[in-house]
Parts: sequence; structure tokens; C-alpha cells
Amino acid sequence: MTGQNTVDKLVSKPYKYGFVTDIETEKIDKGINEDVIKLISRKKDEPEFLLEFRLRAYKQWLKMKEPNWADLKYPKINYQDIIYYAAPKKSEKKASLDDVDPKLLETFDKLGIPLSEQKRLSNVAVDAVFDSVSIATTYKEKLAEHGVVFCSISEAVVDYPELIKRYLGSVVPISDNYFAALNSAVFSDGSFVYIPKGINCPMELSSYFRINSGDTGQFERTLIIAEERSSVSYLEGCTAPMFDTNTLHAAVVELIALDDASIKYSTVQNWYAGNEEGVGGIYNFVTKRGHCRGKRSKISWSQVETGSAITWKYPSCILQGEKSVGEFYSVALTNNLQKADTGTKMIHIGAQTRSTIVSKGISAGKSSNSYRGLVQIGPQATGARNYSQCDSMLIGDQASANTYPYIRSQQPQSNVEHEASTCRISEDQLFYLQSRGINFEEAISMMVSGFCQDVFNQLPMEFAAEADKLLALKLEGSVG
Amino acid sequence: MLKSETKLILEVCDLHANVEDQPILNGVNLQVYAGEIHAIMGRNGSGKSTLSKVIAGHPAYKITGGTIKFEDNNLLDLDPEERARLGVFLGFQYPIEIPGVSNLEFLRVSTNARREYEKKEELDTFEFEDFVQEKLKIVKMDPAFLNRSVNEGFSGGEKKRNEILQMALLEPKLAILDETDSGLDIDALRVVAAGVNKLATPNTATILITHYQRLLNEITPNYVHVMANGKILKTAGKELALQLEKSGYDWIEQISSNKEENQ
Amino acid sequence: MKTECLEWLEQLPSPDGVLASEQLIGRESLRNLGLPKKYSEAWRLTNLKRIEKILKLPLAQSNQYENSIDKNQWPEIPKDGVRIILNNETNYKTNLPNGIRFLSNDDIKETINLSHQSIDETNDWGVSVNKACNNKLLALKVDGLEEQSLEILIPSQKETLNPSRILLVLGKKAKLKLLQVIIGEGKSSNNNLIQIHLDEGSELNHGLICFGKNDSSLFTQACIKQNIDSKYELNAIQHGWSISRFEPRVFQQNGKAKTKLNGLQISSEKQQLATHSLVNFNGPEGELEQLQKSIAADQSHCIFNGAVKVPKEAQKTNASQLSRNLLISKAARIDTKPELEIVADDVKCAHGATISQLQEEELFYLRSRGIDSNQAATLLLKGYCQEIINNLPVAAERWQILNQIIENLNK
Repeated sequence: MTGQNTVDKLVSKPYKYGFVTDIETEKIDKGINEDVIKLISRKKDEPEFLLEFRLRAYKQWLKMKEPNWADLKYPKINYQDIIYYAAPKKSEKKASLDDVDPKLLETFDKLGIPLSEQKRLSNVAVDAVFDSVSIATTYKEKLAEHGVVFCSISEAVVDYPELIKRYLGSVVPISDNYFAALNSAVFSDGSFVYIPKGINCPMELSSYFRINSGDTGQFERTLIIAEERSSVSYLEGCTAPMFDTNTLHAAVVELIALDDASIKYSTVQNWYAGNEEGVGGIYNFVTKRGHCRGKRSKISWSQVETGSAITWKYPSCILQGEKSVGEFYSVALTNNLQKADTGTKMIHIGAQTRSTIVSKGISAGKSSNSYRGLVQIGPQATGARNYSQCDSMLIGDQASANTYPYIRSQQPQSNVEHEASTCRISEDQLFYLQSRGINFEEAISMMVSGFCQDVFNQLPMEFAAEADKLLALKLEGSVG
Repeated sequence: MLKSETKLILEVCDLHANVEDQPILNGVNLQVYAGEIHAIMGRNGSGKSTLSKVIAGHPAYKITGGTIKFEDNNLLDLDPEERARLGVFLGFQYPIEIPGVSNLEFLRVSTNARREYEKKEELDTFEFEDFVQEKLKIVKMDPAFLNRSVNEGFSGGEKKRNEILQMALLEPKLAILDETDSGLDIDALRVVAAGVNKLATPNTATILITHYQRLLNEITPNYVHVMANGKILKTAGKELALQLEKSGYDWIEQISSNKEENQ
Repeated sequence: MKTECLEWLEQLPSPDGVLASEQLIGRESLRNLGLPKKYSEAWRLTNLKRIEKILKLPLAQSNQYENSIDKNQWPEIPKDGVRIILNNETNYKTNLPNGIRFLSNDDIKETINLSHQSIDETNDWGVSVNKACNNKLLALKVDGLEEQSLEILIPSQKETLNPSRILLVLGKKAKLKLLQVIIGEGKSSNNNLIQIHLDEGSELNHGLICFGKNDSSLFTQACIKQNIDSKYELNAIQHGWSISRFEPRVFQQNGKAKTKLNGLQISSEKQQLATHSLVNFNGPEGELEQLQKSIAADQSHCIFNGAVKVPKEAQKTNASQLSRNLLISKAARIDTKPELEIVADDVKCAHGATISQLQEEELFYLRSRGIDSNQAATLLLKGYCQEIINNLPVAAERWQILNQIIENLNK
């Protein structure tokens, strides 16, 4: 049972989260213009400053050009053919979960994210976002006892306008790039986290994003602020139904870590990737950036990217505070006609800043998987260190793996080290495992999971197992 | 002991040192007289190697207290190269590989630097080749290694021979050999030990840092010191090494912690 | 920006000679390209102001050659060696050793056409400039089993633009040691294009020394086509140019060839030196070993971009690339970007990059043997360069490049 055919057969598995929830939805008309932005803002009862923020971003966006440098070819997006706001009817956030539409609870149950009090995970607080709105956040009260704020960004805008004013757009400016500008103009919902001084957040925080409508763009916005000596671990998950059209997802995530604070941000991304012929799927164009503003602060990104037709994201760290630390751990699996162009930017500004990059790309089918990263050591970053490791695994001879590490140093008292390698699952290794009685599929999945182990080790415990399973599902196929 | 008649070469007093804000040496005291061979033993991480590097002047270590006197010089005021020229030699545990730098040129430049200080005449390329051929015999090293890059691609044994060759060329007053025996097979160990014995004179001194008795079978020390937690816990004659070989380090650490408790 | 290019094209003499058709091609593509642009990936780090200056220089005239070249610094030709000096009419008729001959005009036409496939001049500014203005070609063929050696010297005339082109064909199992030396002079620009065809089983050891000075600039392109079982080893050294750009491109036509690329660039003052390499495997079982080194001192800037392409046809490719960089001044800068594109699953490809200063442990080791810190640093820098320089053909020794490099770095 060797040979390429078997491997090919194994690498695809039907998308498990492709169902659509039949629910009455309130949508606004397609298209984008100032009125639409005003309408979104009004629907969310936003204060004036935020509307101004949106309109400024919109004006900026109109002046910008859609980028095409990342070598990703996709049909032109018609931005007037997208719905920028969709919400389940009667969607005002309920005081109690009992009042939430049972269909929605059921949806999240089906996705493996139970929200109801009896079933919910005991040590993870969840913010569930359905299309453009947050429908429920669990454990809010318990977190509040510690002074931790975990809510939807729409609520935060109303309840903590000072924090929003101060930090929104401070890490990713509205003019940062085309999709960030678009997001800033029309962002719908997302999560807001605030950890006060000296607090270690007592539980994992998690947001779950679900796209349900086929013609709605998903533009969520996440903002996490960790005050001095605080720490938090945050995880986001994403799924979407199967549609034969492409849906645009353009999120912005901003993280701010002050002195001695630490933020761990993990993503398990499993948006619908399109079918074997590459029809449908999400365009995942995301801007994620963390600012290590304080001394000895730390921001760590871990991601497992398995979904989306096109992924285009570079979670980055601006290492400004002295001795601050940036980390990026990534597994990206592409199959069929998926394209992923992902990596990170580590911008070393402060002295003795350190960064670590570990990226594992697995390309199967006719997919294309690129690592693109920047390590930049500025003139003031004395004693800065970076270590990067980028490994690719190719399954079949139709897939491509590309590596584009950009490295720049302007500081002699620093050290940058980059290593990359490419490998495949060798027949010998397979044979060895099979000769010990392990079946073919299991052997493949064992080796892929071994290949990714360095990254899985960085995920929060509950999710490491899930990520492993997710990869196995994508690869195993014939089991179950 | 008739120490008053022999010359004090090295005197370490209450030496404290840090690396990256981590204290490694916590008050080391050590006196070494001409003609002596000292062995320093101890577990990994006890501070033995740090002590040797601090004496040689490694820039990564920060001295936080104490003094090191070498003859009449305060070593802590001097750069590593100045210490080497005075006659302090450190045989590295892991000799550094330097691709592209010719071993022969390296040996010549360093030999001449030391000779200049000793007011001996500088050796030109040809004279040096003769000189080095002589010394090669001491370590039984293949002359082919002279034409390679410094330590590059040398086996463990070859690297250690190259260290002893440097010692032979530089003719130090104090040789500190940091785990020179590690990674050597028994034949190579004998060659290296024979070299060290040959180079030891009544006017020079040697400090051996080692884990094992087997080096001390070949080179007999006058004193054996045991280090733990950045201090010398116990000093005795060569029989101490045999005892350590038999019973390990626990009992010494036990005794010393009891002592501290009683104080 | 385009108009400057057009103006330059206007004043060029009308096409003639064996390269007439090439001149037409070069001019046409320059018309479309204009000057290099900041926003294109290949030029984003380049100091374009210095590029603009190049087209303002008049073309070098070969009848001016004798008066305008400083020969004092050239070492003597070894007894049985052959040196060809480019852009000096008389030297195109040098006596060649047995086994090397000049290609006939018919051969030239045929071979040049063949190599169009590997040079994409429509996208290539340096090659296009060369083609547009150059009317001289040195075309050589090496045959037989005996190892040949040859030195090609390419001087620059002051305050002029000096284009030159070499076509070198190695027949089956032929062996050659080639030392190519390009020398820059004050306010000159040198543009050299060398095309190399290596037939089955042939071996070329190619040494390239590019030494500039005082506001000189350099564009040099090497296009190498390798047939199976051929070996190509390049050791290229760039130093002292105000701006230089070296673009080696290796095309393993049918795979199963060996390629070794070693590069060393040493920049000081305000120089900007760049290497943009491309290795394309077009068949199975190809091998690549690449080591690129840079030293950036003062306020200089070193750039390396190393692309390796392994398409589906190139199964069992074994490629490694290492970029090692030394940044020895606070105002200097290094950019390095390996680029690996793979579509074959049964391959071994690895690349690595490091940027650092001299290793503290190495310095300490030398100092602990009595060598003072300046001398230790010099020894280490020498050693760093020597790893590449040692591989140059023996004839390179007479040029004493290491001493010059160290002297300039210690200035």
C-alpha cells in the first residue's frame, strides 16, 4: 500500500462544519458607501468618535489600491457585491443565555463550542460571534471579579470608550494596508479583552467566529490590552458553511503588552476552503499585529491554519520595550487548490529584544504554501537576537512550497539565524511504521503530527489535541 | 610544606563572578605555587570551568568581588591577551573552530606575541616552522594539521593535541587545562598527559580541571580541590581523587552543608 | 524616468557588427523597461540615484584604450599563462593555447540564439543595457580533455561606460580554469555579460574578481547553462564599488549537473554591493551548494537575494544555500533574502542565513593566546574571506586581493 495515489486519496476529507443554520437574518443592502458605514454605526449605537474613525478609514481605503504583490491570483473582488452587516434577527445581546435563540445555541453545540451553562467548558470563557454580531460571552461575571474585561467590541465601545479611543488603531493604523483600512471602516464585531495591572487571567479566553451567510463579508476586530505585569492566553477558532461563492474575511487584531505583560494568542483557523476544484471558500486576508510596548513584555502567536481558499496573514510583533520577546509558531496545511501565504514580521526596535519563529508548512494536492517573513533589527536594538526555523513538507508532486525570509540588520551587536529545510514523508519511514503494525493512514498522520510537534507544544492544552485531530481529519480521509 | 621557599604564582582571593546576572562563583580561594600541579574536581555546574575562564579573562563573566593575583600582576585589570602574554594559558574544554584562519599562522602570531613579551626574538616564517616541528613531537601530531584552519574539522583528540601544542609553543607559567581529558580515548589521553608532564617544570604550575580519576593516573597532582556551588569545599592530597571516584561527591557536599548549619 | 532611457538610446551609434541584432533586442527592451523602479521587488533596496548616473557616462572608445588605462597595478602574466584584455582591439587576436579557439561568426549566431532561452532580457535591465550599447564580443570554445587555464581582464576607462561581453563554450568533457578580473576606475561604470555553455561532462572553475574604487559602478551578469554531468564552480568576489550588482543565473537544462556558487562581498564607506542569484533546476538529480558571504563596514550596505527554483521535473534535487553575513559597523546594513520555490516532493533543499558580528568566542580564543583584539579581528576577517578566496584558480594569487581588502577595511 505505497505509492502516490494512496497519499492523494488520504489528503482530503469532507468539510465537517459546512452546514448552514436556517435562521432569520437581518441584512443590509449590498455595497459600501458612506451611508452604509453610518448605518452600521447607527445599528450598533456607536458614539460619534467611532463613526468618525470609520469614515476616516473609508476615505483612506478609497485612495488605496488592492495589493497584488503576494503572488496570489484570485478573481477580482467586487466590493459593491458584499453585504457588510448581517445579524440574526432579535439579536440584541441577552442578559441570560436562556433568551438566546436556541437555533444559535444548537449551531455552536454542533461546532463543538457548547455555550449553555450545563455544557460549557469549565476553564474556558467563550465569546461567540455569529456573522456580524457577538451573540454570547460566557463567564463574564467570574472574570469581572478579577477585573478582567472580556466582551464583544461593540459592548466595549459603549462601556469602555476611553480604552477604545486610546488603543483602537494604535497598533494597526487605519492606513496600514488595503484590507485593514476596509476593516476599520466596516468592522462589525469581535472581542475585546482588558487585563488590569498584575492580574494573571484565571481562565483561557476564546472567541469563536462563525460565518453563516454566503454573501456577507466577515470583518471582525479584536483588541487585547495587557496592563503591567498581567498575562492572558487567548484562542480564536473559525468555521464557515460551504458556499460555492467566495466570501471575504478581513479581520484586524491588535495586541498591546505593557511592562512585564504577556499575551499568548492562538488561532485554529478552519474556514471553508472550497471544493476539490477550488470553487468557493473564504478569502482570509487578515492583519494581526502585537505591540510589545513595555519592558520585558512578551507576545506569542501560535496558529494552525488549515482552512480558507486563500490565506494571507502575517501575525507580527513590534518589539519596542527593552528585553521584550516575540514568538511565532505556525502550522499551515494546504490541500487541493488552497493557497496560503503566511509568516510573520519581527521588528526589533528596543535593546536586547528576542524573537523566535517556527513555521511548518505542509502542502498537498495542487496547493501552494508559502512562508513569507521579515526579521528586522533596527539600529537601536543592541543585543537583539532572532532564531527562525521554517520547514516544509510536500505531499505529492503537484504541490508547491515556497520560502521567502526577508532579513535585515542594522545593528552589529545582534544575532540573526535562519534555517529552512524541505522534506517529504519517505517510503522508508512509512515502511518502518507499517512493519510495526501501524496502518498507512495512521502512519502518515503520525509523521505529520511529529513534524508539527514544535508548534502544537505551544498551543493551550485543550486545543493542542484538537489541532492534532484537525490535521489528522484533513489528512486521513478514509477513517470514519 | 616549604612553601615559603617557592614562588607564589597564582593567588585567588574570595572571587565572586556572575554570568548574565546569575552568580556562578561565590567566593573562591586558591593559591598555586611554582612546581605544583593542582586538580580541581566537581560536578557539572559547580563552577570549575567558570573559574578557568575568569582567570583567562573571558568577557562574558562579570567579576563582582575578590581578586586574582598572578605573580605581581592584578589579573582582573588586564585584557585576555595581556594575561596570555604574561604566561597564563587556558586549554579549552571545547577548542573553538575558526574556519579560514590557518592554524600555522595562528600559532605563529600567538607564539611571537608571547615571545615579544618575554623579550625573546621574533621567529620568522621559516624559523617558526622549525620550532613548531620540534614541538609537534611532544604531542605526536601530524604536521598536516598545521595547514588546516584552526581546529576546523579536527576530531576531539586532535583538538586537544592542538591545545597542548599551543601550550608547548607559548611556554606558559601557569597552564589551566579545562577538561582536557573529556572525549579522549585512552591512547590520546596518554599522549596528551605525557605532553603535559613534559612541559611541567619547577618554575611553572598546572591546574587540571577534570571529572575523572583516569587523567590523574597519568598526571599526579599535589593537591585535589573539590568545587560545589561556586566554592572550593575541600582540599586534600591526591588520595582525595581516589575517594571521589569511589564514593562520588555527595559525602563532601553533606559534610560541608552540615558545617554551614553548625556555624 | 523613461525619457532618460530614451534619450540615452537616441544617442547610441546605429547597430552594427556581429552583435547588431542583439543591439536591436536590447534597445527595444530598454525602451519598454525604462530605468529600474523602486517598487519592483528586484530593485527595492537599490540606490537608484547611483544607477541613474550610469547612463550619463559616454561609451568607452577602444582607440582611447592605451591612454586611459592604468596598468601599473596589474600583476605580471605567469610564464605559460594567457591573459586576454577586453576592450583592447589588439587583444581579441591573442594567441590562444591549444584546445581553446575563437568561435566563428556563424557559431556565435547559433550559440547566442540558443542562450536566449536562459536570459530574459525583457525583464532585465543590466543585460538590456549591455546588449543595447555593446558591439564587441569575445567568443571562445574549449575542447579536448586537457585542463586549460585562462585569465580575462576587463579594465574600465575613467569617466566612461564600459560594456563587454563574453561567450564561452566548453565542449564535451572539456575542463577550464577561468579567472575573470573586472577593475573599476574613478567615475566609470562597467557592464559585463558572460554567457557560459557547459556541455556534457565538462568542468569549469570560474573565478571572478570585481574590484572597484572611487565612485565606480558595476553590473555583471553571468548566465550559465549546464548540460548533464557538467560541473560549474564559481567563486566571486566584489569589493570597492560605489554600487555593484552581480547576477549569476544557473540553468541546469536537464538536471544531473553539479553547481557550486561561492560569493564574497566586502563593502566599506558608502558602498552598496549586491548579489542576486538564481538557480533553476530543469531536470532531476541536480546538485547545488551555495555559500554567500558578506562583510559590511562603515556606512555600507550589502544585499543578497538567492532564488532557487525546483520545478516538478527536478525530482531528487539536492540543494543547499547558506548566507552568512558580518555586520561590523553600527551604521552599516545587511539585507539577505533566500528564496526557495519547490514543486517536487522528493528533494532535499535547505537554506540558512545568519547575520552577526565577529564571534565573541572566536575572538576570546585568539586573545587567550596573546593576540591583541585588533589583530585577532583582522585574523578572523581574513579567515572569513579566505574560505572563498582559497577556492579561486591559482592564477588569482598574484592579484593579492586579500591584502587589499584588509587594507581597505582597516582604513
